[in-house]
Amino acid sequence: MSFDQGKLLPRNVTAHRRLSSPVTGKHRVAGNPASSRLESGVGNCYPGLECDVRNLERRFVPFMEMDVVAVVREIRLVSVDLGAALQAARAGEITPEDFEVYQTLSGDLGDGAAAAVSRLEGMFGVLGELAFDLSQLNDKSYGANRRPPDSWTAVRMLTEGAPLKVSFTRGDGTTVTLNTKRERYLDDEGALSSIFLPGEMSQSLCSPWTHDFRDCGCHYWASNHPDIVQPVYPAGGPGTQDQKWTVSVPWQRADRVIRDEPPPSAGPFRPSEEEQLDHHEINHRWEELHFVINTRETTSPFRPGVVHGTPLLDRATLLRHLQYAAGVELAVAHEYLAAAFSFKPDGDPSLAGDDALADSIRAARAEIMRIAIGEMRHTRAVNDVIRAISPPGTFKPALQVASALPRPGGGHRPVVPRVASRAAIDGFIDIESPSAGVDGLYIDILATLENPPSDMPEGIAEEWSEAVSSIIAEGEDHFQTFLDIREWLGAYEEAKYLRDPAATRPDSTQPDHVALQTAYAGVLDDLHTGYLKGRFQGAKEINEARRDMVGAGLSSLASAVAAVGFIVVFDVVADPRFAPISPP
Amino acid sequence: MTMHAPAIPGSPDYIRFRSAVGDHILVVPYSRLFDVPPELCASWERDAGEIADVVSAMGETTLLEEELSKIPLPEPQSISLNVSSSCNLSCGYCYADRGGFSGKQASRMDTATAFRAIDGLFSRATTDAPVTIGFLGGEPLMNRKLVHDAVQYASLTGASRGLDVRFSITTNGTLVTDEDVAMFRSHRFAVTVSVDGDRERHDAQRPDTRGRGSHEILERKLAPLLDKPGLAQVAARMSVRRNGTDLQSQFDSVLGIGFKEVGISPLRKTADDSGFGDADYAAYLSELADVASGEVVRARAGMPIRLTNLVIALRQIHRGWASPFSCGAGGGYFSVASDGKWYACHRAIGDAEFELGDSCGIDRDRRAGFLSARHVHNQTDCRSCWARYLCSGGCHQEASTRTLASCNFVRDWLTFCLKTYCELTASPSTRFEPASIGAMEI
Repeated sequence: MSFDQGKLLPRNVTAHRRLSSPVTGKHRVAGNPASSRLESGVGNCYPGLECDVRNLERRFVPFMEMDVVAVVREIRLVSVDLGAALQAARAGEITPEDFEVYQTLSGDLGDGAAAAVSRLEGMFGVLGELAFDLSQLNDKSYGANRRPPDSWTAVRMLTEGAPLKVSFTRGDGTTVTLNTKRERYLDDEGALSSIFLPGEMSQSLCSPWTHDFRDCGCHYWASNHPDIVQPVYPAGGPGTQDQKWTVSVPWQRADRVIRDEPPPSAGPFRPSEEEQLDHHEINHRWEELHFVINTRETTSPFRPGVVHGTPLLDRATLLRHLQYAAGVELAVAHEYLAAAFSFKPDGDPSLAGDDALADSIRAARAEIMRIAIGEMRHTRAVNDVIRAISPPGTFKPALQVASALPRPGGGHRPVVPRVASRAAIDGFIDIESPSAGVDGLYIDILATLENPPSDMPEGIAEEWSEAVSSIIAEGEDHFQTFLDIREWLGAYEEAKYLRDPAATRPDSTQPDHVALQTAYAGVLDDLHTGYLKGRFQGAKEINEARRDMVGAGLSSLASAVAAVGFIVVFDVVADPRFAPISPP
Repeated sequence: MTMHAPAIPGSPDYIRFRSAVGDHILVVPYSRLFDVPPELCASWERDAGEIADVVSAMGETTLLEEELSKIPLPEPQSISLNVSSSCNLSCGYCYADRGGFSGKQASRMDTATAFRAIDGLFSRATTDAPVTIGFLGGEPLMNRKLVHDAVQYASLTGASRGLDVRFSITTNGTLVTDEDVAMFRSHRFAVTVSVDGDRERHDAQRPDTRGRGSHEILERKLAPLLDKPGLAQVAARMSVRRNGTDLQSQFDSVLGIGFKEVGISPLRKTADDSGFGDADYAAYLSELADVASGEVVRARAGMPIRLTNLVIALRQIHRGWASPFSCGAGGGYFSVASDGKWYACHRAIGDAEFELGDSCGIDRDRRAGFLSARHVHNQTDCRSCWARYLCSGGCHQEASTRTLASCNFVRDWLTFCLKTYCELTASPSTRFEPASIGAMEI
């Protein structure tokens, strides 16, 4: 078909239904991640951030919408949802007398007459039970007979669900009083109540939001409000030097020229006034701001790089792949730990006087440890997925270390704990390479969860595809980090940063090595028991395992092995539960 | 058994139109409305074949949608009771010959018949949706006692069956008592009052049996209910005769009595031959569009729309309403004559062709035959019209008055409403809420 159905813009319900129907195929729109949702955004009472929480107070009376104009101590009635009030009247939730008030005010609005709140009587949080005319509010909220200082604060202080009497003055001067309760703003799930309509929470925000974000010094904003980004590549692309284009720059920088060299990195503090576009410039030159995809600015059309995995045949095959994936995580953790412990320790005499080298080593070791720990978390995540999709009562913890690791481009290689030589780092880059190596393994798993085979119960698979997506995403972070590590250490010879470039495996009777193996087997045993028992019941064993990994546990035992000049190795444990697992 | 009335191949499956906010296309199956951006328009100029591909894809049935060729055979969900065979007024255009249906409804309905009909409805209706019992005549309030008894009976028995029972009544408004008002207020009553315009127009069209006007008394009797409707929804229905002009001021007059909403009906099939002729439609459309435009201005200012015709059109366009039937006649809705027979519709009392059963049961074959014949795919005029799922052929009783002029009017009015919908919903300040766009709750 030659047309792009996306060009037709749906207007009514059945048009929308057709375009979002499964009949048209699963149409994933590349956009903000699910994490960038309004209810998880940073709301504030100061417009310019993601939502204006003052808009909650506009619906403090059920079935009504008000404008609370604090500066003149007014609360003006904007609309009445008579239909909903009628439902409530029918259900006996509001009295006929109160329903009449809704009708009267609704009628007033329909006739174009105004109505405003004149008096409130209710429970005002810490101020307790109060009754006052809005005209009595005078900013003085302390001392004897203290009251809220203004109308918005008054509404804000009302206790949710507490009885409330609201008196309205109508256009003709008469008064009607409603007996009600302060409305709930959140539903039972903690999400915004459906009384709020789309767009309502942000309707009063500053336009554009870019003004506020330009002035913010936090540098942590979510992807939908970029403040710090990676710069756009020049026309010829990053070339072979793409590492130097991995630099954080201000998104609203004043210098918009794209050169062959990347713009200077933003420092730890807010970019200076000169470095950024002025507010009025943003209004006029907003089209010069770049789109940001995956944290990098882009000026070219974006086509999501959809990598299609191949769904696996049935549940049993999926489980086998997941068990192997858990094993791969353990195996790469072994390799990364061996590498991490092979660096010179902090305070090594040979590093005296060379702070730059010491810093690079410290950073490299810390990052590899972070990644190794990340793989351990992945092991746990994969076990959670296995448990969820295993037929009931059949779950067995997947703690078998892989005997071979997937190679990008196909095939496998043996697991080889070794020192953090350049070759080793290159090997790590390979294994974390996007869409290849470990990634490639998960892509098929993900495709299977998204298109579950018929022997899998409904609903389960989709829930866990997010977990697998996260693992893949973290793999991309690992890949980038190894590239950084290669760069940091690139200027030095291996002997400068490694304890011993020629270190070897210890003999099986070497005492520090033996101690490490015993502790390791104990940790695996605890994890196995904990995973088998499941969440909460297995907490004791999981916590013990964690305790035994850090401090005086595996961490210092491994350091001891490295300190006597050997590679940190974790032998195969002679227990069928932990026998090595081969690729499927 | 599922019955079908297949569509005729080659029927127009789309129309394109332009509003103040741009170009649009309505895909006829399922009434899907889209904006067509300029680049796509240009592309279609170059290759008209593309449109057919798009429309074919967009017209496919999707989730939650029934095939349009299907003839649904639901259990009854609403009935009207023709409780009275007489009327205190003498409107020339009355379809019911003042309630007697030209001799076919000789007497008023008695309690037993009414209760049997209600039982028949309740035993079959689903609790998933409201059930409605309507009261018609003649003038239903001429059999006041029955109306009150039936409401009481239906409320009690309905509640015990877990049914959401609602009522409706179409009345000339001149006999309304305090007791009636109290009943309307305390039940979910849809009260439709026939008011044909200002005093002069109304009195000319709706005199009593002695030729005196009925406007003044109607206004007086209805004032309390209009002032405090309680749970009732009170709407006015304004009938327009041939040569009826001045729609805006008549409309304003009716609102002036206190009605929140007015529906305007052009008379087509009338006893006194006062229905529209072909020459009347052009002026009527123009005047109706003017009234509607005035209401749109109000809507933009956040005020409710008071013209029922427009409210319903906008709601249905928004929902993508598409049905091969113009109403529930013989489907979910039946009308019960005073002798207990069930007819497809209240305008067909005594008409053998529309008689479909009684309170003990519907004749399934007769009813299936009725619906099949009425399905828009089986109407020769309708099945090749783009408006076939929106107009759906119009009132079955008026089918004999269908002409090119009357159909052009319907298409033109729908086009006006489609444009209005697009313009109204394009404005960011108007949040289109189908439930509250009109003056009354859905």
